[in-house]
Amino acid sequence: MTVVDAAAVPGRGTVPGPAGRPPRAKMPPHRRKEALLFYLFISPWVIGFLAFLLGPMIFSIYLSFTEWDSFTPPRWVGLENYITLLTDDPIFWKVMGNTAYYAIISVPLGMAVSLFIANLLNKKVRFRKLFRTLVYLPHLIPIVAVALIFQMVFAPGAGPLNQALSLVGITGPNWLMDAAWVKPALILMSLWQAGGGTILLLAGMNGIPKELYEAAEIDGASSMRQFWSVTFPQLTPVIFFNLIMGIIGSFQVFAQVFILTGGGPDNASQMAVPMLFDEAFRFYHMGYGSAIAWILFVVIMAFTALAFATSGRWVFYESEVRS
Amino acid sequence: MSSRKPVMHAFRSGPGTYGLLVILSAIFMVPLVFVISIALSSDSTVSTGQLTILPRDWRFDNFVRIFQTSLPVGSFIVNSVIISVTSAIGQVLSSSLVGYAFARLRAPGKKALFLIVIATMMIPAQITMIPQFWIFSELGWVDTFLPLIVPQFFSNAFNIFLVRQFVTRIPYEMDEAASIDGLGYFGIYARLVLPLMAPILIAIAIFTLTAAWGDFMGPLIYINSEDKMPLALGVQYLTSTSQELQTPPWNLIMVGSIFLSLPMIIIYYFGQRYMYEMNLSAGSAGVK
Repeated sequence: MTVVDAAAVPGRGTVPGPAGRPPRAKMPPHRRKEALLFYLFISPWVIGFLAFLLGPMIFSIYLSFTEWDSFTPPRWVGLENYITLLTDDPIFWKVMGNTAYYAIISVPLGMAVSLFIANLLNKKVRFRKLFRTLVYLPHLIPIVAVALIFQMVFAPGAGPLNQALSLVGITGPNWLMDAAWVKPALILMSLWQAGGGTILLLAGMNGIPKELYEAAEIDGASSMRQFWSVTFPQLTPVIFFNLIMGIIGSFQVFAQVFILTGGGPDNASQMAVPMLFDEAFRFYHMGYGSAIAWILFVVIMAFTALAFATSGRWVFYESEVRS
Repeated sequence: MSSRKPVMHAFRSGPGTYGLLVILSAIFMVPLVFVISIALSSDSTVSTGQLTILPRDWRFDNFVRIFQTSLPVGSFIVNSVIISVTSAIGQVLSSSLVGYAFARLRAPGKKALFLIVIATMMIPAQITMIPQFWIFSELGWVDTFLPLIVPQFFSNAFNIFLVRQFVTRIPYEMDEAASIDGLGYFGIYARLVLPLMAPILIAIAIFTLTAAWGDFMGPLIYINSEDKMPLALGVQYLTSTSQELQTPPWNLIMVGSIFLSLPMIIIYYFGQRYMYEMNLSAGSAGVK
């Protein structure tokens, strides 16, 4: 299957649906019926929103100001949870540092790898579909299986990674037991699934007008130059989308850490969500856990906002040229 | 080479391109080949730590023996199927209804409500995790499938968004023609729009199925009994409950990982064109 040109779909996003029509001041009966049906149709979402999102969010804010073991009534402690976390918790800063380290290295690295692969696959190559499938396959493996597989891959003596390193004369570390190597190991593992990003990038590359390359060709641009002057700028919206999704996802890393390291050794790989899970569901510190959730939320929002703030400088939108 | 139009530099491939692609594909494949090799190893090979990338034994009976451990692996698989299929049905039903309403029906306050839908995509699941646990334990739903399944029947923001984007691309004239033919709004939804929505609904079904099948944290929080565990949690359980203080049965764990992964690969193979549909719907606003 070849990737269909996204821009070739007729009328995408241009069909003037009824969404924008302003409601009239006085509603005729059939419009009242339509409105009533609208609320009826969206009622599953409304109920779900109130019961599973808004209600829990408000409760969560309240809980973050309490001490609560989920068995006895919550006890109001004001800002104590937040103050303890930020000033007194023995591991909180280490955990946030680990999480940021993981996110800041694994996201750009993963994006670079997927961009590099997508660019190779965008060339005129034979067996393109086969290569694309092989590169994409790891992305389909459920994360639990990935973690279990990499427990073997990282095995210090007989694991294939250290066997490969020993071929070039390097004695590989005990990846998951070594405080210095456990985070690079988790990042390496995330890179194995980086092929997942190539599909969207390839679709984006397919949508780049060929005339741009023809013009570059006439100017005598090399393939490297064509990549940096045509492909990359044209792809920045997709790259930006991958960046945002990557930031949000990597700050919430859980199963890998929980299964592979349990946060160890010496909390060197403990991350925000596994810590939250431990506090809430192992030690029953529900209030403390809620405070961690809110701090994590603020951190994710801050990084996302940072990405948006810089996007004006490097993300290139077609409409900017046309207008 | 061929005398057709010369390929532009950006698309020109040489031995280097193939070399890189072969090396990269090989690196990506090594862990998977390794999984198969361990899955086929005998117990003694695994327990003495003799792991090789290419299989040394061919113990296909491991694929039967995994069902004979002290853990109910058969139930794990059945549970996973129940949870993920029900979740997919719930998401398809609810998000098609809600998404259609946001695309087609007019009502005061719709714009504001849609903004709320979009805004909820930003809320990470961790925020609601603890209160939801409280709600479900008050309802007595802990250690049942209900906390994993029921929320799926109330749709989620991303799926509503996908359906809405998709339906806006269906020409409105079709609705008008149907309404002249005497179909009401529900008739238009059920008889006209729903069949046209099939590609995006299949994409949502696949997406939900995959997410529910692979979900680890949900079952970890809510499921305690072994016979109610889905495979994603159960396979992990295999590592922690080896009876004696010996190395976990890595050959069987890798068989379990294959059981966990293979359905996802098969679903992707048959569903990839629908997944593309989803990228398209998301991309029509998500990327820009």
